[in-house]
Amino acid sequence: MSDTNVPTSEYRPQASEQPPTRTTSPREWVRLNLFNTWYNSLLTVVLAPLVGYVIYRALRFVFVTARWEIIEVNLTNFMVGTFPRGELWRVWGAIIILGLVIGLGLGVTSRASAETARARGVAAGTSWSLVARRAAPALLLLVALVVFVRTATPLLLLAAALAVAAGGYVAGRWIPPQHRRWMHIAVVAGLAGSYVVMTQFGGVNLAHWGGLMLTVFLAVGGIALAFPVGIIVALGRRSKLPAIRVVSMLYIELIRGLPLIALLYMGWLILPFLLPIGFPTPGRTWRALIVLLVFTAAYVAEIVRGGLQSIPKGQYEAAQALGLPAWKMMRLVILPQALRNVIPALVGQFISLFKDTSLVLLIALTDLLGVARRVTQQPEFLGQGLHAESLLFVSFIYWVGSYWMSRESQRMEQRLGLGER
Amino acid sequence: MTDTSTSLIRDAWKAGGTGEEMIRCETVDKWFGAFQALRQIDLVVGRQEVVVVCGPSGSGKSTLIRCINRLEKHDAGTIVVDGIELSDDVRNIQEVRREVGMVFQQFNLFPHLTILENITLAPRQVRRLPKDETDSHAMELLERVKIPEQAHKYPAQLSGGQQQRVAIARALAMKPKVMLFDEPTSALDPEMIKEVLDAMVELAESGMTMIVVSHEMGFARAVADRIVFMADSEIVEVGTPEHFFTDPQEERTKLFLSQIL
Ligand SMILES: Nc1ncnc2c1ncn2[C@@H]1O[C@H](COP(=O)(O)OP(=O)(O)OP(=O)(O)O)[C@@H](O)[C@H]1O
Ligand SMILES: [Mg+2]
Repeated sequence: MSDTNVPTSEYRPQASEQPPTRTTSPREWVRLNLFNTWYNSLLTVVLAPLVGYVIYRALRFVFVTARWEIIEVNLTNFMVGTFPRGELWRVWGAIIILGLVIGLGLGVTSRASAETARARGVAAGTSWSLVARRAAPALLLLVALVVFVRTATPLLLLAAALAVAAGGYVAGRWIPPQHRRWMHIAVVAGLAGSYVVMTQFGGVNLAHWGGLMLTVFLAVGGIALAFPVGIIVALGRRSKLPAIRVVSMLYIELIRGLPLIALLYMGWLILPFLLPIGFPTPGRTWRALIVLLVFTAAYVAEIVRGGLQSIPKGQYEAAQALGLPAWKMMRLVILPQALRNVIPALVGQFISLFKDTSLVLLIALTDLLGVARRVTQQPEFLGQGLHAESLLFVSFIYWVGSYWMSRESQRMEQRLGLGER
Repeated sequence: MTDTSTSLIRDAWKAGGTGEEMIRCETVDKWFGAFQALRQIDLVVGRQEVVVVCGPSGSGKSTLIRCINRLEKHDAGTIVVDGIELSDDVRNIQEVRREVGMVFQQFNLFPHLTILENITLAPRQVRRLPKDETDSHAMELLERVKIPEQAHKYPAQLSGGQQQRVAIARALAMKPKVMLFDEPTSALDPEMIKEVLDAMVELAESGMTMIVVSHEMGFARAVADRIVFMADSEIVEVGTPEHFFTDPQEERTKLFLSQIL
């Protein structure tokens, strides 16, 4: 492709113009960064032993003094809470189904984006180091879990799930473009299928879900529902119809004025009485999910509204002048730009939702953090002060999840930043 | 047909081009709150005619052409485009917008789409044409505005003149019967103005019906069939380029010409 008349085409300096490369020896680096002034030297001298001591204590705790058997014994509790042990095959079944459709989805999107990149003449392809860095948080979690597993069966099942996911990925990359839309149906079918496996045909009611499984259900469900609902409310707030506008505004202002804990209690204690008589009351877990969704959607709506305001009027006018109907203008021109502008804020909101799911322990659901509290009160661990171990373990899981989301958001920003003005 | 107060404006009713009527504005009024932006506008544009609209800032030029594709809603009078009268009916508006392309001062390309995607978006989504057809048509249009090699870039990677030519190609992709230009060269550096004007001249020669808001008097002299001079929300004078430049009748026209020529 010739770029001859593009003023912005890449400028390659002559060899002689290249900046001189400077190498600093470690010794030099220390001198320049730690001992460059007398007060920095002082700070270094005071802080170095302190930082060293803290790291030493932390490492010593993790590898020497900590009594990790509380995690080993309770690993199943941490993962699924009080889920009936005889029904665990359902969880594994669901994991394998989800692994398959997630792998499939990833495969299809990765091939699609590679094809777009090729069509646009952009160098595509990901290096192995990039893939490794993307997967690093998940791998870290996997290693931690494997360390605590005491029998071979879960390891084998996990390996099977990973193998199925890898198979789905390969199959996804192999699907020709004209059949891609089936992928969405496959993903929805997979979600529905895993739900059926979990709850139907003598399955387990949501009230008995717990541990990491419950946390992930609430977080993923909350994010997946709050995102579209938030967008709809944000559009409603800018609607030309006063009724819709007022309702959206009331909703946002009301929800944002209440603490999440108050809303959770309301969902637990008051919602059943507000429903029409004869209307089946959703279970406690569903009510918690609804509250998390309602709460997060209000914030998402405000974030998206900010994004919509950042789009210049000319974009609307150009789309209208081309004859695009209003909803296509929104979907294809305005929202893609508006959402891209607010990715950091949106992901921040989702990260806080992920961590806020831990508040459901106040309405007597046993999520990951709930399990961490419970296990220290088991007869064999009671009064032994093993809070640190269990809290550290669940904190690590929360951190891995949050860190992974934050990394993915940065990646997405970079990728979508291609057409930055 | 209403008779207008001065004989000079009577030219407003003489459709040029093939003589067939393409756009008719009759006693159009437009208010922004208490401010009247258009007052009793009468204008007929013929098929294949090129009309250049000029006048001082704030005189209502943009408002006039934005009423023709309903980016602004006129308050009184009638506007008929290719036999379709603009009304509140959404389908009517969509139909007119499909016939009328518009090029803006600020280009208004979609920054998140490549050049090719910018051009094919409307044909695919509005006309529902298949991708290979819109892609090859888009490439033809890019050849026509002389930037086929930019097809896979993003708007931000192009110069202003190139972006404006893409904007012209994007509007043409809908195969419109009329093109509206709102000061297409005012946001450009001087060295880029010519490339955009060249594309517009080529378009005019191909027989496109065009209304161009512009102060490029060289362009007006070369390709305009008629020039419309607006001031204070009104059409003050309408005439062929010869009449307009050599023998302006109105004081306001003379004053304006003395300032810009
Ligand atoms: N959306 C609006 N709300 C209120 N007033 C407006 C609006 N758009 C235009 N106006 C006013 O209407 C008048 C005519 O505006 P218009 O943009 O049509 O002028 P113009 O002839 O295109 O001027 P310019 O050469 O500066 O582009 C101006 O006084 C402007 O302030
Ligand atoms: Mg204007």
